[in-house]
Amino acid sequence: MANFFLSAAPLILFFPLIGAATIALFGPYVHRSASAFIGCLSVGLSFLLTVGVAFVILPLPLAQQAQFDHSHFVGYWAHIPPYLIISFRLLLDPLALLWMLIITGVGLLIHVYSVGYMAESKNYRTFFSYMNLFVFMMLLLVMSDNFLWLLVGWGGVGLASYLLIGFDYERPIAVLAARKALIMNVIGDVGIMIAMFLMYAHFGSVSFQNVFNNPAQIGTSALSWIGIWLLVGAVAKSAQLPLQTWLPDAMEGPTPVSALIHAATMVTAGVYLIARAHPIYDNAPLAAEIVAIVGGVTAIFAATIGCVQYDIKRVLAYSTMSQIGYMILAVGVGAYAAGAFHFMTHAFFKALLFMAAGLVIHAIGGEQDIRKMGGLASKLPFAFWTFLIGAIAISGIFPFAGFFSKDDVLDAVLTFHHPVLFVCVLVAAGLTAFYMFRLVFLTFLTGPYRGTHEVHADADRTMTVPVAILAVLSVVGGWFVLPHHDAIAAMLRGSFSDAPLPQAAEFNVGLTFGVLALALAGIAFAWAAYQWRPQIATALHRSLSGLHDLLFNAYYVDVLYDWLFQRPTYALALWLRDTFEVDAITALPAAGVRLGAALGELANRWETGYLRRYGLTFVVGAALLLFLYLFLSHGSAAGAAP
Amino acid sequence: MPQVPLNLYLELSAVLFIIGVIGFLLRRNPITMLMAIELMWNAGNLAFVAFARNYIDMSGQVFAFFVITVAAAEAAIALAIVVMVFRRRENADVDDISIMRG
Repeated sequence: MANFFLSAAPLILFFPLIGAATIALFGPYVHRSASAFIGCLSVGLSFLLTVGVAFVILPLPLAQQAQFDHSHFVGYWAHIPPYLIISFRLLLDPLALLWMLIITGVGLLIHVYSVGYMAESKNYRTFFSYMNLFVFMMLLLVMSDNFLWLLVGWGGVGLASYLLIGFDYERPIAVLAARKALIMNVIGDVGIMIAMFLMYAHFGSVSFQNVFNNPAQIGTSALSWIGIWLLVGAVAKSAQLPLQTWLPDAMEGPTPVSALIHAATMVTAGVYLIARAHPIYDNAPLAAEIVAIVGGVTAIFAATIGCVQYDIKRVLAYSTMSQIGYMILAVGVGAYAAGAFHFMTHAFFKALLFMAAGLVIHAIGGEQDIRKMGGLASKLPFAFWTFLIGAIAISGIFPFAGFFSKDDVLDAVLTFHHPVLFVCVLVAAGLTAFYMFRLVFLTFLTGPYRGTHEVHADADRTMTVPVAILAVLSVVGGWFVLPHHDAIAAMLRGSFSDAPLPQAAEFNVGLTFGVLALALAGIAFAWAAYQWRPQIATALHRSLSGLHDLLFNAYYVDVLYDWLFQRPTYALALWLRDTFEVDAITALPAAGVRLGAALGELANRWETGYLRRYGLTFVVGAALLLFLYLFLSHGSAAGAAP
Repeated sequence: MPQVPLNLYLELSAVLFIIGVIGFLLRRNPITMLMAIELMWNAGNLAFVAFARNYIDMSGQVFAFFVITVAAAEAAIALAIVVMVFRRRENADVDDISIMRG
C-alpha cells in the first residue's frame, strides 16, 4: 500500500491537469454537470492520494523522509552537462505535503461549493477548467524541487488568477482588475527570475538541493540580494506592501475564486517561497529582517484599511492581506513552523468566511455592499452561524483555530525580539477582531434588512456541506498545536531541521491572555459602535472624517501609483505617438527618400548623352585612379622601377 | 643589332594613346572616333609587346592577339551601330544622338 501511494505521487500533480484538459476539450460535448463532476473528481483524487502519501511519509524518521524528497524523476528541462542540468523531480517533503494537503483539500471543498454557486453562470464548464488548471499550477509550484519549475507554477497560478478574476469578462471593471493583478504578479515573477540568475551565477544551479546545501559559501552580501529578489516575488504574489493594490480589486472575481486563490492558497505562495528558501534567509539576516518588516507593516496597514471598507469581500481581502502579513512576519523572524501553521488555519477560516459571505451574496442577488445588508441572521441562519465561527476563529478567540496559530506567531515575534513589529501585529490583532465583528454586526444583526433585493435562502447542499466542513475545521484546526504538543512543528521538522531557531511553540501565558483580551476588546468595541449605540460610529465617522477618507482610499496608494507610474507612462506614450512617431520615426525614412532623390537628380545631370563627355569623364577618372595608385602604393618613390 | 630601349617603346605608346584620346574627345564624326579608339588599343598593344620582349615573356605577345580580336569585334559592333544611326538620321554627328541619354 505504501509503495502504491508513493509510485502514484506524480498523479497528484497530473490529475488536475488531466481534468482541466478534459473539460476544455470535451466540455462542450457533454452535459454541464459532467464537467463539474470531472472538475471535483480530479481534485478529489489528488486529495486522496496526497493524504495517502502524507500517511506514508510523515510517520517515518527524519532520515528516511529525506529519501523521498527527490525520488520522482519526471524529466529534464535542460541537460547540458557540465554547465547546466535542470531536472524535474517531485518534492515530497513535509512542507510541500502541508501545502499540498491544503491545496487539494480546501480546493476540493471549494470546487464542490462552486457546483452550486456558479450554477447560473453561462461559462460553467470554462470555470471548472480554469479552477483545475489553477490547482495543477499551484501543485506544480509546491511540488517542484527547483526554482525553475517553481517559477513555472508561480507564473501559472498568476495566469489562472488572471483568467478567473476576469471570468465575468463582460464587465469592464473585472477585466481591468484581472489585468492589474497580472501586471503586479509579473513584477514578482521578474524578481524571482533575477534571484535565479544570481543563484546560477553563484551556485551554478537552481535546484533546491544544490542551492540550499551550503548557501553561506557565497558570502552574506550575494545571499542577501538573492533573498531580497525572492522577497520581491513573494511580495507581489502575497499582496504585501508595496505591491498590495491588486488583491482588493481581485475581488471582482467570483466568490469561490476569491476563497480558493485570493485567500486560501495562491496568495500564501509567498509564505511558502520564503519558508522553502529558509536556508538563504537563515544565512542572510538583513534579507530576513526586511521580510519581517514587510510582513509586520502590511499586517497593520491592511488591518486599518479593513476597518472602514463597505464591500464585504473587500474587507475580507484586506483581512487576508493582513493575515498573510502575520505569516510573512513569522517566516521573516525564523519561525517557519508558526508561519506554516497560521497558513493552515487561515486557509480554513478565510475560505469559510469567503464561502459564507458567498452564501449571503448569492442569496441577495449579487449585492456586496454591507450598507445594503443588515438583519440577515434570521433570514440566513446557516450563513450567519458559519460566518460567525469564521469571524471568531480569525479574531483569535479560544478555542478556535486562529487563537492557536496567531498566538504561535506572536510568541515567535516576541521571542525573537522585534519590539516595534510586535506592537504592530498586536494592534493588528485587536483591529482584526474589530473589523470582523463590524462585518458580522452590519451584515447579519444591525437593524432591519436595508437592501432592495429579495432574500432567497435556497443554497443547495453542494454549497452548505463544504461550508459546514470548513466551519468544523475552523474550530478544531488549531488543536494541532497545544502546550507541549506541537504537531505542526513535529510534522515539519524534516523541512526545518537545519533552521537555527527552535520551531516548536512555547506558550507565554501572559501574552496569550493579553491577545485574548485585546481581541475581546475589539469585538466589544464593534458591538458598541454598530449594535449597542450606532451613534458612536456616526460620531467617530464625523469627527475623524479625514482619517476615514485616508483609510477608505487605502492610503491613496492607488492614486500614488497612478501619478508615479500610470500617468508618466501615458504621457510618454502619447508623446511618442503624437510627436516622436511623426517627427522622428516617420520623418527619418522620408528624409532618406529625399536624400536618395536628390542624389539621383545629381547623378542624372551627369547623364547628358554626349558621348565625348563620357569619354572625358572616363579619361579623367582613369587618370585619377592611376595617380592614386601610384601615389598610395609607392609613396614618395612614385613611378620607381620595380 | 642594337637593342631599342624599352623606354622609347613606352614613350611611343604613350604618345599614340594621347593622340587617340585627343582624337576621341575632339572629333564628332563617329568613324573618326572609332579610328581614335583603334589608336588607343594599339598603343596598349605596343606596350604589351614591348614588355614581352624586354622580359622575354611570351604572355605579353599572346595578350596582344587577344586585344586585336576584341578590338575587331568592338569595331564590328560599333560600325553596325553607326550604320543603323546613319540610316535613320542621314547624319552621323555623335552630339546629335545625345537624345539617347538615360
